[in-house]
Amino acid sequence: MPLYIARRLFGMLVVMLIVLTVVFVIVRIAPGDPAALILGPDATPEDAIELREKMGLNRPIIVQYFSFMTQIAGGDLGRSLFFDTPVTTLLYQRAEPTIFLTLFSLLIAVSIAIPIGIYAAYRRGSFFDQSALSLAMLAAAIPSFWTGLLFQQYIAAGTGWFPVSGYGGPDANFFERMWHLILPAIVLGVVNSALILRFTRASMLDVLADDYIRTARSKGMSERRVVLRHALKNALIPIVTIVGLTLALLISGAVVTERVFNLPGIGSLVVGAVLRRDYPTIQGTLIIVAGLYVMVNFLVDMLYLAIDPRVKY
Amino acid sequence: MKVLKGLIAAATLASMMTGTAFAAQNVVNVAIVGEPDTMDPMMSTKDVVSIVTQHFYETLFTFNSKFEVVPLLAETMPTISDDGKSYSIAIRKGITFHDGSTMDAHDVADSLNRWVKTASRGKGVADKIDSISASDDFTVMIKMNTAYSPLLSLLAFSNSAAVVYPQENIGEDISAVVGTGPYKLEAHKPDQYIQLVKFDNYVSRDEPSDGGSGARTQSMDEIRFIPVPDSNTRVEGILSGQFDFADGLPVEAIKRLEASDKAEPMVLRPFGWPIFAFNHKDGLNTNLHIRLAVQAALNEDDMLFAAFGDDAFFVTDGPLYPEGWFWRTDAGASAYNVHDADAAAGHLKEAGYDGTPLRILTSHQYEFHFKLAEVAKANLEAAGFKVQLDVVDWATLGQRRNNPELWDIYITHSPFIAEPALNSMYSPTSRLGWKDAEKEAILAEFTSVSDPEQRKVLFSKLQEKVFEQVPFIKIGGFNALLGKSSKLNGVTKTPWPFFWNATIDD
Repeated sequence: MPLYIARRLFGMLVVMLIVLTVVFVIVRIAPGDPAALILGPDATPEDAIELREKMGLNRPIIVQYFSFMTQIAGGDLGRSLFFDTPVTTLLYQRAEPTIFLTLFSLLIAVSIAIPIGIYAAYRRGSFFDQSALSLAMLAAAIPSFWTGLLFQQYIAAGTGWFPVSGYGGPDANFFERMWHLILPAIVLGVVNSALILRFTRASMLDVLADDYIRTARSKGMSERRVVLRHALKNALIPIVTIVGLTLALLISGAVVTERVFNLPGIGSLVVGAVLRRDYPTIQGTLIIVAGLYVMVNFLVDMLYLAIDPRVKY
Repeated sequence: MKVLKGLIAAATLASMMTGTAFAAQNVVNVAIVGEPDTMDPMMSTKDVVSIVTQHFYETLFTFNSKFEVVPLLAETMPTISDDGKSYSIAIRKGITFHDGSTMDAHDVADSLNRWVKTASRGKGVADKIDSISASDDFTVMIKMNTAYSPLLSLLAFSNSAAVVYPQENIGEDISAVVGTGPYKLEAHKPDQYIQLVKFDNYVSRDEPSDGGSGARTQSMDEIRFIPVPDSNTRVEGILSGQFDFADGLPVEAIKRLEASDKAEPMVLRPFGWPIFAFNHKDGLNTNLHIRLAVQAALNEDDMLFAAFGDDAFFVTDGPLYPEGWFWRTDAGASAYNVHDADAAAGHLKEAGYDGTPLRILTSHQYEFHFKLAEVAKANLEAAGFKVQLDVVDWATLGQRRNNPELWDIYITHSPFIAEPALNSMYSPTSRLGWKDAEKEAILAEFTSVSDPEQRKVLFSKLQEKVFEQVPFIKIGGFNALLGKSSKLNGVTKTPWPFFWNATIDD
């Protein structure tokens, strides 16, 4: 087990090194000039050259690469070209909406998907099962930006109960900020519930067909106990995997939803940084997101040990 | 009963959550199109930077509603020597910066020297300025090596603006956001809000408010600028009452705004002009006949209809200034919107056109740019051009248009600017590189004489040259849709809206 963990940690380090290099190269290959964007439409090409020089973007790529790697090794993600602020500060500022949006939407997704997935598997082929599958298909197929716009128009603007967008002003307290996350969390939760529902149903169907379930039933055990204690426990590994992947995906920023609801989270930070060619912010954000991705996957693997005693590393 | 109680509790909670954040009085919430690139208005020519920073930084002069230059931080209009080369500017006394220090001529002189050195518009006039200095504590002297009549307009413009900073904050970068404006920067959370609060020691001018000039009343305690990049989100925000003002709305939203009881449309008529800018430094458009062929081939009316959809939002109009403006002239404008494929083909033959693709650089950043390009492509192909539409994102366009090897035409737009000389496209050193001896002579005279009528005649000659030489094509005029709360008053219609005179009804 310790050897396995050490191997995994080393693997994670290698993955991160590859990610660092790929991210650096990709943002430099992409066309676009942050200096020209900052200066605006009436600035001359000479102005842009001058600003690029000042921002250190005219140095040879290899020099920029080594400077970048040295910075990262020292725990410094660099300074945003656009905000003139350390990238770590920007990420810290953007973490709250993304973390809570992730948690709320995951909670909604899991609360919808797992009970319905279990019941749909239990009543395989029934009207409920067919309806659940159709609705899941629909939820996965409808783009979240469209649902978001409908929510804004009919629920937020229509009733006035929810804010249309944003994360509250300077005087917004914690509860007010959380109130801004309700609609986007529902949008994201419903979309993500589709995949979890289908995985739960499929996994439960596999398990419910096993011999030990028939044995449990033949012993006279209640259906509730058979399904929730025997079947669900054994069906959990794929469910936990997909919930973990969904979590990683959400942390990396629900880009479209954050954009539509104008939430200042990590997703909108990275989209804005790409549009502005803010290289340090793109790099810093992607490194953290990749790190979280790798970490969540590792934790999910560790969770298998707790769920299933047959799993050994 | 329990259900009813639950509903009442939920509604109360909802009103607590939304009410405190959005219904606070004496705060005006303004949705802007994105995060300003910088809080240093000298450094950027972007409108969103001007809109925000003009509330905390001020210039020596500003424009009134008739686009006349009038004093702001200057006490009066300057004393200009007879040869037009020397400007003595008296500075207002008793003006306090947000940090409590008092503004004097040394702050102004150092700020203007930085502007000449670092701002795009300042650098454009740098070669005409010999020196800027404080001749005493409240007088600034600008000495020119040649007369340059647009100087005061340049000093009044809020874009790449000649604002005044405290002397000690001036360096390559500005060390703190400290100005003299009616509002000061209280807090800035990038992509979330920019909170400005009333500056208690602000000394307003006494003249009645008129455009950007005169008294700045500070009726509101706070102005909050909220960057909202998605235009649909701005529409829903203004309709729901979350915002009191929203900039840059899609024209399709006008009917919903008209039907709303919370908000109303503000149509900025005219807002600006879409432009096809030609590359005179490299490629096909170095040949005059190619440019004339493009001018002859385009059907501007169709282009504008495709781009704006509703003729309430555009006008097919060739002269470089709209009807009713001082600079309006029809000189040369008969060459506009001719849509004559045969004439275009004739020019192509004259040019010896060999089928090399004409590269039009555009993006989806402003959807109307792309739509203009699509119709233009059809017009040009009908006339015998091969057209290559290079559709890239805005950042790439910003980079590519700085390299003359990569484009023949790029699409942009501009608001109508009070002083024609502030339009950099006439200049031979601009990105376009339009060089013509006769035009340089007209431009030199236009920027040196100060008599308005004489300048108007010269401008009409300049416009004539534009249609003869086709350095760029004005596609037409377009209007902009803004939205405001029905309770918001005192906001002037301008491309750079300001809120120091705004009030909100109870």
